[in-house]
Amino acid sequence: MATEAATQPRIRPEWIDFLVAQLIALAGAFAFAALIGAVIVIAYGEDPLFVYRTVWAFGTSRPQDFAIVLENATPLIYSGLAVAVAFKAGLFNIGVEGQYIVGMAAAAAAAITLSGLPTVLLLPLVIVAAMTGALLWAAVPAVLKVKTGAHEVVTTIMMNGIAVSLVAWLILHPLRSDVQTTDLRTTDFPDEALVPNLATSLGIEDVIPDSIAHLTWLFPISLVVCFAVWFMMFRTRLGYEVRAVGSSPGSAEAGGVSIGGTQIKIFLISGALAGLVGLNHILGDTGYLGSNYETGLGFSGIAVAFLGRNHPAGIPLAAILFGMLLRGQDGLAILTELPIEILIILQGILILSVVVAYELVSSALARRRQAQLGQVAS
Amino acid sequence: MPLVDLGAAIALGLRYFTIIYLTGLGGLFSERSGIVNIGLEGMMVVGTVMGAWGTIAYGPVAGLVTGAAAGLLFSLVHALATVTFKVDHIVSGVVINVVAIGLARFLSQLFFGQATQSDPGIPDFATINIPLLSSLPLGLGQAFKGMSPVVLVAFLMTIPALFVLNRTRFGLRLRSAGENPEAASSLGVRIWPLRYAGVAISGALAGLAGAFLAIEINGLFREGQTQGLGFIALAALILGNWQPLRLMAGALLFGIAQAIPLRLQDAPVISLLPEEFIRMIPYVITIIAIAGFVGRVQPPAAAGRAYEGAAT
Repeated sequence: MATEAATQPRIRPEWIDFLVAQLIALAGAFAFAALIGAVIVIAYGEDPLFVYRTVWAFGTSRPQDFAIVLENATPLIYSGLAVAVAFKAGLFNIGVEGQYIVGMAAAAAAAITLSGLPTVLLLPLVIVAAMTGALLWAAVPAVLKVKTGAHEVVTTIMMNGIAVSLVAWLILHPLRSDVQTTDLRTTDFPDEALVPNLATSLGIEDVIPDSIAHLTWLFPISLVVCFAVWFMMFRTRLGYEVRAVGSSPGSAEAGGVSIGGTQIKIFLISGALAGLVGLNHILGDTGYLGSNYETGLGFSGIAVAFLGRNHPAGIPLAAILFGMLLRGQDGLAILTELPIEILIILQGILILSVVVAYELVSSALARRRQAQLGQVAS
Repeated sequence: MPLVDLGAAIALGLRYFTIIYLTGLGGLFSERSGIVNIGLEGMMVVGTVMGAWGTIAYGPVAGLVTGAAAGLLFSLVHALATVTFKVDHIVSGVVINVVAIGLARFLSQLFFGQATQSDPGIPDFATINIPLLSSLPLGLGQAFKGMSPVVLVAFLMTIPALFVLNRTRFGLRLRSAGENPEAASSLGVRIWPLRYAGVAISGALAGLAGAFLAIEINGLFREGQTQGLGFIALAALILGNWQPLRLMAGALLFGIAQAIPLRLQDAPVISLLPEEFIRMIPYVITIIAIAGFVGRVQPPAAAGRAYEGAAT
């Protein structure tokens, strides 16, 4: 009996196969995107190697350059996580965009009305306000999805449109600055509501001047949140139910999981995470909410989530890569004649090829395991 | 004067109807072939920038053609991903929409020298007055004066759409690919060309609608001008139960809703709201319609499902 077992073909542990496959897919997708990028760059009569070197150098040559990269990455980590947790349950939160805009307005309202409180109270309250505002905004599509079946992709997009108008009204009326300003915006927040700059707190502002990089404590906190999301997804009952509903709703229901209840819970968590997306912009940089606030962070989060495989470990890496491409645009604008939009195109090609590459690799993997198992069985 | 306002609102609403209906018809062909297409918005975005370019270079008719052609080419990415590589349809559609924003910026920079818009005032179509209807009393005739000929074309598109879908071999096979590809395949129908065709039709029509938006409503390409109209078309498609005539009714409702903030802001009741709240009306109407009707409709059975090929 023992000798029989020994002659069976050895099967590597599944996770090694999985990891190798993921890395192959990533490498292939990067190579493909870099190649297409090179063709476009050559069509413009520039040297692709010089372009890629410039992007790399602008993001890494000095500590302050990398600080800017991390500053760019901070909101994308939060929005990537927000998209990813919903995706794990098979839901598409395309509404992170609207949710963080509402979150910023809620944070602004809290910062202004609660002015006078000390930092230890005010800052947490402002952050909770942002998360609550965004969560409530996510609650509408979540409840409609579960109660009526209205597809969340359509409803969240509509909620984005409504959010833009609502926040425009809030900035114009209840939250408008009493002081005459050249641009349309809220009153300045009290200092107690602002998130401290990381370099200043660590006493290294001579290396990373805070006027150049608005890298705040929200960056290390985002990594903690990544860990918390990982813990929730893989070590708690809710996370298990979310993954069960996402991968096989039928079996999950047969196993006693309430599909609707799980979907609502995770969508609300996704919304709360979305509330953190805009905070570095208003609490770490401007110190007020202007009508020309940063947009598009929610949509970039979708790309970050896909690139990071919807995994809390992949998302920060994907966000840092996007932060670097964003920083690299400055380099291209200064040192080349290329339109900076070339990097946005590159980003798009990269996501598409990553999605396709993962699909190809995972179906190849499934076929191989099938064949191996077949061999073992015969 | 409110009735004159109403006439003007209907006139503008018919232009928005054209966008929603054409895009929705495209989505109908894609989804009836089995490919869910939430990338309609992105295909429309590509249509706006390329439509504006074609119009500036060769006039509005050419603009519609270049917009449609660009939408078609771009939609092939979605077909490649979903049909050939079996990527999840929603994932691919989301990526299409994200990529379209960057692509439009890039093309705009290339053609107009600035990333976010073209010069305003691009050439448009000569308008027409509909006989009889344009002489309706109480200002309602306003709705049918100065109409874009493309609006009429959009209404007339219903006839070929219904004919192709219900009276041709291609239409029957397309629907079978969306309802039961395994059964169709066992009868010798090849599924992938049908699904490619369905997606290509959706790309061409969404691109055409995008070009129409740039030429006949805004008079320029501007970043973000589609404002979710591709998703509203998707909502009209759901509301229309994937049937052309019911889709038309849904598109009329959403089209007129789009015109409320722009032409009926002074109408009774509406004028009591702040301007920003009036702008929410089309979105709110869309959400209510979707939430209220979705349980009573029946999507194509195999929509969203990859066809794995004949079993061996």
